[in-house]
Amino acid sequence: MSELGRILVVEDDPRDVELTLTALDEYKLANEVFVTRDGKEALDYLYCREQFASRLDESPAVILLDLKLPKVNGLEVLQQIRSDERLKMIPVVVLTSSHEEKDMLASYQLGVNAYVVKPVDFHEFVNAVKELGMFWAIINQPPPGSAKKVP
Amino acid sequence: MTYWRDEFQRVESPILRYGLAIVSVATAVAIGFALQAYQFRDVEAPVLALAIGLVTWYAGTGPAVLAVLLSTTAFAYLFTEPLYSFYVSARDLPYFVVFVFSAVVVASFSAVRRRIEENLRLARDHLRAELEERRQREGEIRKLNQELTLRAAELAAANKELESFAYSVSHDLRAPLRHLVGYSELLQKHAPNSLDDKSQRYIQTILESGKRMGNLIDDLLAFSRIGRTESRTIAVDLQQLVKEVVAEIGAQTTGQDISWNVGALPVCYGDRSLLKLVVVNLVSNAVKFSGKRRLAKIEIGSVDADGDKLEVFVRDNGVGFDMQYVNKLFGVFQRLHRTDEFEGTGIGLATVQRIVHRHGGTVRAEGTVDQGATFYFSLPKAKHSVKGTASAP
Repeated sequence: MSELGRILVVEDDPRDVELTLTALDEYKLANEVFVTRDGKEALDYLYCREQFASRLDESPAVILLDLKLPKVNGLEVLQQIRSDERLKMIPVVVLTSSHEEKDMLASYQLGVNAYVVKPVDFHEFVNAVKELGMFWAIINQPPPGSAKKVP
Repeated sequence: MTYWRDEFQRVESPILRYGLAIVSVATAVAIGFALQAYQFRDVEAPVLALAIGLVTWYAGTGPAVLAVLLSTTAFAYLFTEPLYSFYVSARDLPYFVVFVFSAVVVASFSAVRRRIEENLRLARDHLRAELEERRQREGEIRKLNQELTLRAAELAAANKELESFAYSVSHDLRAPLRHLVGYSELLQKHAPNSLDDKSQRYIQTILESGKRMGNLIDDLLAFSRIGRTESRTIAVDLQQLVKEVVAEIGAQTTGQDISWNVGALPVCYGDRSLLKLVVVNLVSNAVKFSGKRRLAKIEIGSVDADGDKLEVFVRDNGVGFDMQYVNKLFGVFQRLHRTDEFEGTGIGLATVQRIVHRHGGTVRAEGTVDQGATFYFSLPKAKHSVKGTASAP
């Protein structure tokens, strides 16, 4: 997998990762994805430290962020991103199982760009992820300094 | 306090009281004689009067009368001329009369004072008892308050627990379900030819069950959320609300002839979005259960219930229900029809009941099999309904 992921997926559940990648593959976006498995790894990736120290320092076009994560949870990752001058422009989409109002409220208060509840129905799930991938990685113009689409 | 208690202590035993009278008079007579021996003249009368006062003070009225009689007799017999006879000479008569009179006056003054003090004592006892009672009642109130605080804390803890339960259901229960459905579908897509019809049907069943479970979880979470969210109470125009709901649901039901009959509906007091959920549930139920009629008739109206409540009803001519099962209608996940007859999770009426109860109202239902059903819910009347409608454009 390339370390130049234009979509950073932060997801601890391997099955959700597989389903997400399957969905993104329908638009041939799977190659553009980099997956981190917890909040700490995601922050390490963004700050190019530890195992990502040699990574080319470019921000992803979008971060698909789960909320319930080991070590550092999604809201803490979001808070860290939004309070950092260099990272705060990166679009972040919360992609979670939680329907709870307090999660939604907290995410929007921290400045999330979108909040998507993972549908139980597979078709809806695939469609949701596909459309998210297409919108943020293809249609949307990412902030300057983000990874460019490989032509 | 002890001083007063001792001071007012009355001698209780009658023998002691009358004994005191006799002993006091005898002592007074003895003192009179002793004083006479020292050449003190005419002091017997005040000494006897003092004895009478003492007896009245400590022993009450009966002994006082006895003391007066005894001392009069002793005075006449021992101290007035001629001595040692009860005869009172004419010369001594005024002196004797004055003695009797002063004895009576001392006795009666003493008795009056005694009575006043008795009353005071009673009043004081009464006050003390009242004070004690009040203190007791205050203690009870304090205890009840403490219990209430404790109960409130317990309730808050239970609520919090429930909330975290719902939260983890929302987070953790849906994920495996999504995988179940997702992978079944992937399997279906991946190997369409290697699966025979039977296997296809099995996978289809897994898929449908998974989706159904997802719906159940979502409904249950929505249901539990009703109790946890803060409600915003405002004046709600039910007429307007029902109009909206009928328009929304009417637009979704294609291929079904429905005759709507919406009567006059009042303004009530409540949370608009929750009340809308009530109406949506009842109206969509009416549509669903009259789906097999050629012409579904749905009537929505209100009856003015007594007191400060109003009652709204939704009536349909659908399949109805047996009144025998009326108590099961409003339970969570209770259904009176098979899933293949009418779809649904069985939480709609439970939601209705929960919302209406939260508004301080009640729900009830009437129905006959194959004749239709009527669902009623009552709500508190808007206190300023006249003002509310008047200010509306």
